[in-house]
Amino acid sequence: MAAYVRRAYSSFLTHVIDIPPRLLSLLFLSLLACIPVIVSPTALSIYFLGVLITANIMAIFASSWDLLVGRAGQISLGHALFFGIGAYASALVLRYAGLPLWVTIPIGVLVGTLAAVPVGFPCLRVKGPYLALVTMALPLIATGILYYYRDYTGGEQGLPVPRFFPFIQNLYHQRVAEYYLTLLALLISAIIIYKIVNSKTGIIFVSILDDEVGAKACGINVTKYKLLAFAISALFASLAGSLQAPLIYLASPASFSLNLSFYAIIITIFGGIGTIYGAIAASYIIYFLDQYILTIPQLEILGTKILPLPTVWHPLIFIVVVIIFVVKWPRGIARFVVEDGLTELSKEREIEERGKHIWKKYKKKKQEATESTAEG
Amino acid sequence: MHMLEVENLTKRFGGLTAVNKVNFHINEGEIVGLIGPNGAGKTTLFHLLTGFLKPDSGTVKFRDEDVTGLEPHKLVNKGIARTFQVVRPFRHLPTIANVMVALECPRGRKKIEWLKTCERKALEMLEDVGLSEMMFEPAENLAHGDLKRLEIARALATEPDLLLLDEPFGGLSPIETEYLTKSIRRMHLDGHTMIIVEHKLHALMKLAKRVIVLHYGEKIAEGTPEEIAKNKKVIEVYMGKAM
Repeated sequence: MAAYVRRAYSSFLTHVIDIPPRLLSLLFLSLLACIPVIVSPTALSIYFLGVLITANIMAIFASSWDLLVGRAGQISLGHALFFGIGAYASALVLRYAGLPLWVTIPIGVLVGTLAAVPVGFPCLRVKGPYLALVTMALPLIATGILYYYRDYTGGEQGLPVPRFFPFIQNLYHQRVAEYYLTLLALLISAIIIYKIVNSKTGIIFVSILDDEVGAKACGINVTKYKLLAFAISALFASLAGSLQAPLIYLASPASFSLNLSFYAIIITIFGGIGTIYGAIAASYIIYFLDQYILTIPQLEILGTKILPLPTVWHPLIFIVVVIIFVVKWPRGIARFVVEDGLTELSKEREIEERGKHIWKKYKKKKQEATESTAEG
Repeated sequence: MHMLEVENLTKRFGGLTAVNKVNFHINEGEIVGLIGPNGAGKTTLFHLLTGFLKPDSGTVKFRDEDVTGLEPHKLVNKGIARTFQVVRPFRHLPTIANVMVALECPRGRKKIEWLKTCERKALEMLEDVGLSEMMFEPAENLAHGDLKRLEIARALATEPDLLLLDEPFGGLSPIETEYLTKSIRRMHLDGHTMIIVEHKLHALMKLAKRVIVLHYGEKIAEGTPEEIAKNKKVIEVYMGKAM
C-alpha cells in the first residue's frame, strides 16, 4: 500500500508540474491578476485582498533578501532595517517637507539604497555568522533611535501616512486598486531582480557565495560586488517598506522588528533559497497559512481550543516547517519547478537510469566472460 | 629587464618566519619550478606574489612596476594569475560560468550579443583544457582531475602574462599528469610565463628550465634541473644528512 502511495506521489511530482518556468510564471501572474475579478465584494474578500496585498509586499521583501543571501551569500538577519528605513524616510519627508505621497516613495527608496553603503562597509569586514549577528543588531539600534526622538518619529505610535487612493470612496475598490498597485510593483521588481540574477553580475554574486578567495583570484573586486549586492537588495527592501506604509496608514516601528526579518527568511527558505521565484510563490503560501489556516477556522479537540491559534505562535510553527525543509528539501518548493530542462527529481531519475545501464553492461560482460571460460 | 623581480621578500607569522629574505627573478617566457619540503614556504610565497598576503618587508616588481602588497584583483588586472593547491571551484555554477567569471568581456551593444561572445570565448578556454563536454554540468559534479583543469582554464581566462600554478599535478593519475603536462607545454608555447610549485619532481623536471629550492623560508639553491638534482644541499634537505 505504502509503495503505491509513494509511486503515485512521485509520478505526480514529475508529471503534473513539468511546465516550463516562463509559462508557469505567466499562469501564476494571470491567476493573481484575476483574483479581484473573481471574488465578490464582501467584508471577507476585503480581508482576503488585504492578505494578498501583504503577500505582494512580502514577496518583494523576501526576493530582495534572497538576492543578498541566496545569491551573493551575505547572510543578513536584520533585513528589516532597510524595510524600516524605506517606510520612515518616505513618511518623514511627507510629514516635514510636505511633498505628495507619490514623490516620497522614490525618496524613501533612494534613502534606503544609500543607507546600504554606510551599513555595508563595516559589515563586509566580517563574514558568515558574525555578519549575521552584526546585521541583526542594526534594526534593534534603529528602533532605539526611533523611540528616543519620539517627538519627530512618533515613537511607538508611528507616523501616520495617508492612503494611496483617498479619492476612491468604496473600501473594496480602494483595496482592489492597492492590490493592483502592489502587484505591479512586485512584477517590475521581480523582472529587474531576475535580469540581474541572470546577468554577469549575477554570476559574479554566485561566485562570491561559493568561494570568495577563488573569486578574488579571478580578478573580481569582491568588496565592490558585495556592496553592490547590499545596495540592490536594500533598494527593493526599502521599496517594499515605503509601499507598505500607506497601505497600513502608518510608518510603524514594527517595520524594524526582528519578526519581519525572520518572515523574509522563513518565506525564502520555504520557497527555495537562491531561486527568487521560489520566494515570491512561497510568500502567498505562507501568508495564506498565516492568515487563514491558523487564524480563521474554529477547531476544538477534547474541549481544548486548537484553532484559531494566537498570532504569537505562528512564527514557531513556521520555523519548525523551515527546519524540516532545510533538512529534507533544501531547495524548498522550487524543487517542483523545471530548471534547465531538468527537475531535481528527473535528474535523480536520470542518474538511476544511467546506473541501470551500467549494471546491464556489467552483467553482459560477466556473462560473456563466463561463456568464454566455458568455451575454453 | 626581468618580468618579475623579487627582492628580500619576508613574511612572518608571529615567531615563525615563513618566507625569509627571498630574492629571485623571472624572465619573459620562462617556466620556473619552485620546490622544497613541506612547510618550506612555497605557498606563502605564492600568496605574497598574488596579494592574498601582505609581505612584512621586501619588494615585488612586475614589469618594472612596484606591485608589493596590492590587492589580488588589481594584480590579476596587471596580468598575474594563480591557481590553488586545493581546488576552489564555484560549486553552484556550471563549468562554463566558472570560466565566465574570470573572463573580461568587451561590452557589446546588445546584451545577448555580449553574452554570446562571452560564452563562445569561455567555451574556447574549456576546449583548451578538454572540458567542453561538461560545459553545462555544475562544477560540484566534476571529478577532481577535471576541477584541476578547470582551475587552470579559469586562471587562463584572466589573460595573464605570468601564471602561478600551485601543485597542478597534486592528486592526478599518471595519465592525467601526462595530459596536463602537454597542455602546460602548449600554454608555454602560447607565450605564458609560469612558476610551478610541485612535489612530483619527475613531472616538474620535464617542464622547468630553471628550479628554485626553498627550505624553511630561505632560498637554498637555484639552477637547471640537472644542477639541482646534484646539489648537495638540496639532497641533504630532502634525504637528510649523510651519517
